[in-house]
Amino acid sequence: MSYQQARWIEPLIFELSKQGRVGWALPGKPRERINIPKELLREKLELPELSEPEVVRHYTRLSQMNYGIDSGFYPLGSCTMKYNPKVCEELAALETASCIHPNQAEETVQGALELMFRLERFLAEIAGVARVSLQPSAGAHGEFIAMLLTHAYHKSKRDDKRDQVIVPDSAHGTNPASAAMAGYEVVTVPSNARGRVDLKALKAAVSERTAALMLTNPNTLGLFEDQIIDIAKVVHDAGGLLFYDGANLNGILGKTRPGDMGFDIVHFNLHKTFATPHGGGGPGAGPIGVQRELEKFLPVPVVEYDRKRKRYYLDYNRPHSIGKVRAFYGNFGVLVKAYAYILLMGAEGLNEVTEAAVLNANYIMHKLLGVEGYELKFDASGPCKHEVVFSTEPLKRETGVTARDVAKRLLDHGIHAPTYYFPPIVPEALMIEPTETESREELDRFVVALNTMAQEARSNPEKLRSAPMATAIGKLDEVKASREPILSWRAHRKLAKK
Amino acid sequence: MVKAGDYDVPDGLYYSREHEWVKLEGKLVRVGVTDYAQSKLGDVVYVELPEVGKQVKQAAEPKIKEMELGAVESIKAVSAVYSPLSGAVKEINAALQERPELVNTSPYNEGWICVLKLSALEAELKQLMDAKAYAEYLKKL
Amino acid sequence: MGHPYIPNTREIRKQMLREIGAASIDELFTDIPPKIRLKRELKLPPAMSELEVKRHVQAILAKNKPFTQMLSFLGGGVWPHHVPAHVRSLVQRSEFLTSYTPYQPEASQGMLQALFEYQSMIAELVGLEVANSSMYDWATALGEAALMCARVTRRKKFLVPKLISPERFSTLQNYASGPGLEPVKIGYDRTTGQLNLDQLKKEMSQDVAGVYIENPSYLGFLETQVDEIAAATHKAGALFVVGVNPISLGLLKPPGDYGADVVVGEGQPLGNPVSFGGPSLGIFACRGELKLVRQVPGRLIGMTTALDGRTRGYCMVLQTREQHIRRERATSSICTNEALCAVAAAIYLASLGPRGLHDLAELCTSNASYTMKKLNAIKGLRAPIFDAPHFNEFTLNCDDTRVSIQKLNAGLLKRVIQGGKPLRTEFPELGGTALLCTTELHSREDIDRLASALKELLGGRR
Repeated sequence: MSYQQARWIEPLIFELSKQGRVGWALPGKPRERINIPKELLREKLELPELSEPEVVRHYTRLSQMNYGIDSGFYPLGSCTMKYNPKVCEELAALETASCIHPNQAEETVQGALELMFRLERFLAEIAGVARVSLQPSAGAHGEFIAMLLTHAYHKSKRDDKRDQVIVPDSAHGTNPASAAMAGYEVVTVPSNARGRVDLKALKAAVSERTAALMLTNPNTLGLFEDQIIDIAKVVHDAGGLLFYDGANLNGILGKTRPGDMGFDIVHFNLHKTFATPHGGGGPGAGPIGVQRELEKFLPVPVVEYDRKRKRYYLDYNRPHSIGKVRAFYGNFGVLVKAYAYILLMGAEGLNEVTEAAVLNANYIMHKLLGVEGYELKFDASGPCKHEVVFSTEPLKRETGVTARDVAKRLLDHGIHAPTYYFPPIVPEALMIEPTETESREELDRFVVALNTMAQEARSNPEKLRSAPMATAIGKLDEVKASREPILSWRAHRKLAKK
Repeated sequence: MVKAGDYDVPDGLYYSREHEWVKLEGKLVRVGVTDYAQSKLGDVVYVELPEVGKQVKQAAEPKIKEMELGAVESIKAVSAVYSPLSGAVKEINAALQERPELVNTSPYNEGWICVLKLSALEAELKQLMDAKAYAEYLKKL
Repeated sequence: MGHPYIPNTREIRKQMLREIGAASIDELFTDIPPKIRLKRELKLPPAMSELEVKRHVQAILAKNKPFTQMLSFLGGGVWPHHVPAHVRSLVQRSEFLTSYTPYQPEASQGMLQALFEYQSMIAELVGLEVANSSMYDWATALGEAALMCARVTRRKKFLVPKLISPERFSTLQNYASGPGLEPVKIGYDRTTGQLNLDQLKKEMSQDVAGVYIENPSYLGFLETQVDEIAAATHKAGALFVVGVNPISLGLLKPPGDYGADVVVGEGQPLGNPVSFGGPSLGIFACRGELKLVRQVPGRLIGMTTALDGRTRGYCMVLQTREQHIRRERATSSICTNEALCAVAAAIYLASLGPRGLHDLAELCTSNASYTMKKLNAIKGLRAPIFDAPHFNEFTLNCDDTRVSIQKLNAGLLKRVIQGGKPLRTEFPELGGTALLCTTELHSREDIDRLASALKELLGGRR
């Protein structure tokens, strides 16, 4: 093993502060007297004081203690950590994209509106839906808005008994959380032995109270819900809508479309499928697509084109709209990147993305099935899609080493941990999503690492339990962190004084 | 004291399938989570206590909110505390607010969750297990 | 031929297929029922090279006129400021940019510490102990704040000022709809814009979960009765929520000092580009009381140590509030947030420091005062319409001229000036009024140019 992450002893920026230093100069001096009464003014402000080079060095060091997709393999299941083309960053940073104000006169933002108009159509074609709103700021925001649309749809039909949303037990946590936020009661349906929605249980769960089913396909086990046509029928027959969680869209691009599967509302994670960087947690973008009958409920404004005036415009005149879901029109900077990415790939390229991503996942599945200690809990007879969920239960039974230990030890190999302990229906789960942007050599290295660890678990389990060692810091006391949370410098100092 | 593997199962208490224990104290009962439950959960970082006066129902399937006596949280898991008997919350263990770890270190004593005033003790007590039966139950899990 | 972003060439993929025992790639998609398989290619433009894409996107975006190429007086929710070069250069470091949410703290200390610093600086700025590591934007942060008030108090009404930003109000309505929380508008004094305290007190009851004000208000004036509002709110057992433009807090008293329990705001001006209104940065802060902290939406980063008990480290804390653990009982469904914008904000605040932020806030205010003075001197124009102290935004009324705001703006645009935002559709009672904003981007000459352009348009002489 030859990996070692940077390990700076880097104080908090407050501790680097020296009175009088400043890292920025104002362009001018105030010349008007400020007419604000003294009692409205603040007395002190304890921000750090540093010069620009000190600030730059501090945050550069911090960045070196952070692992990104550019640092190495990042097989984080459900997160589609693929390479983010640099040209997309360059384009989003152009002044013509970053220095336009949302309230500017329409004729001065025609480029922005045109780009959004085009991107909307690309996404609608990819998902097989009628219209798309680019406004949702992230996946969960898209889900929440989808639930608001669901509510508006049933209400328009004067069908106000529908107060339940069904989610499979394998669903992302955001699904039930978004449904609950929109006021729905969540009903969970179990998976069957094949790791798919249990159709019988679904039939029993739907009723005149069903507002919608939230489903991701391929599901969180990386398996395609091959009974999707029946699932859609069951929900539609009961009068409910189908919501597609787009987290796993990378597994089906150009192969099938949520709209064709029967979904009424679809969401996209541009920061997953469409290669915009995740920024350590965000910003992302979570557009939602809808079929015709839901179009009129979309949040305002929508981008339209006026053929007569040959001009794009923002349409607010939509009486059935649910209104606003955020201040402006979406994470435009992210939209620019996703638009550029789709152009870079084209139809053929996106199809190739899915083929290569699915092949990479199947390759890992095939190789790992040969390693003792790891097993599949569900259907292993068919192919997986873009990701595969292994269980390390055999290894745990044999050695006591857990999936978490294995995941942490991978960090020592310079490989990011897969998602672990998710989905909750798989004990000792390791959820592995390689994406299409990894080479076979990288996949082999990963398999070798997991193999080495299975052996290590037998010969020297302590090594796994005490991992990671090669990261900026070893295991943290997360229990202390949550029992007595210190959430700011202010709180830390208060505690230190005690 | 009965042992079920590594887990303590004191005599004289009643146990529920959801891993709560019950201690009869005259007309009241004291409730907590078992050694097995705290061990499965790991380091407890927070205990969400029920409100005094809350009416609860004895746990059964399907589970509903009215059966909950708050929750016990570790860093990455939340486990509802299901009421082993029906009644009203009479008293809560406020010490857990400052020291949630008591659930780990002393599940049957200092780590108790609350005291209930019961509505149907005689009938419902039959649903619970004694120490021996609970120890057997644990062995099958 | 290889693909620039797909390392495994077709040849390698063929070998891999052989190795896993698949005859062709199609075998990996046999689980998709034929009926729903896409039997044609997606209707998208053919793939372009990097150079072609660059030219194509540049050409589309060239149809925009950025405010850097004109003189713009727009604010109203996002505000143009200079983004120091090093802020952008640091957040573009790919270790930050291309990382996921810091689920593995050992490998993500950099992002975690940067976010902890962000939380800490926001906490200082707003005068509270706790800030989360970001929401989507101000509007959604407000929606979440209202939901949090409802959870904490178990009440059903949320009072807001009538002069709230309409975008934020509409967003709030959508967020409030889930639990059936009812937003109620409180009127204002026509002369000063200040919240109508009598009406506030009348609406105050045991149903009120929270009271929200914006300070500076949407229309730029300051709310001077904050102490009375806080007192009335707390007397009724409700929570006091204050919305802010964080730049103003370089100068203004922090809401924590006048009784705010929760502070929300728009963090975009802290080192993030306007970018057509997104990505933004939702600020969310609250008092340190556990009863509140446990109800906070979104991610919280905490300070702790390594297992050795000595080495300082950072990790996500109180995760049981969040959707990936508590699912339908989570405090919010938010997962992906605006972390990188928060890091930009931290770098920006650390660079300006207390002095820099104070001077910046003062300069923005001073520029607004100067602009109001100049515009007020023009016959028929009135700025501001409310008699109250203002920060860097203000209202301009032209009812005493024969020209509408729209017409004035059109005339300004011909002179490469973007005027203020017309308010007639949002607040008809304010007549022909626009909302203008000045920041450090505006020089004295810029402001003079606006004044003389307006004079010219209104038929005055230069």
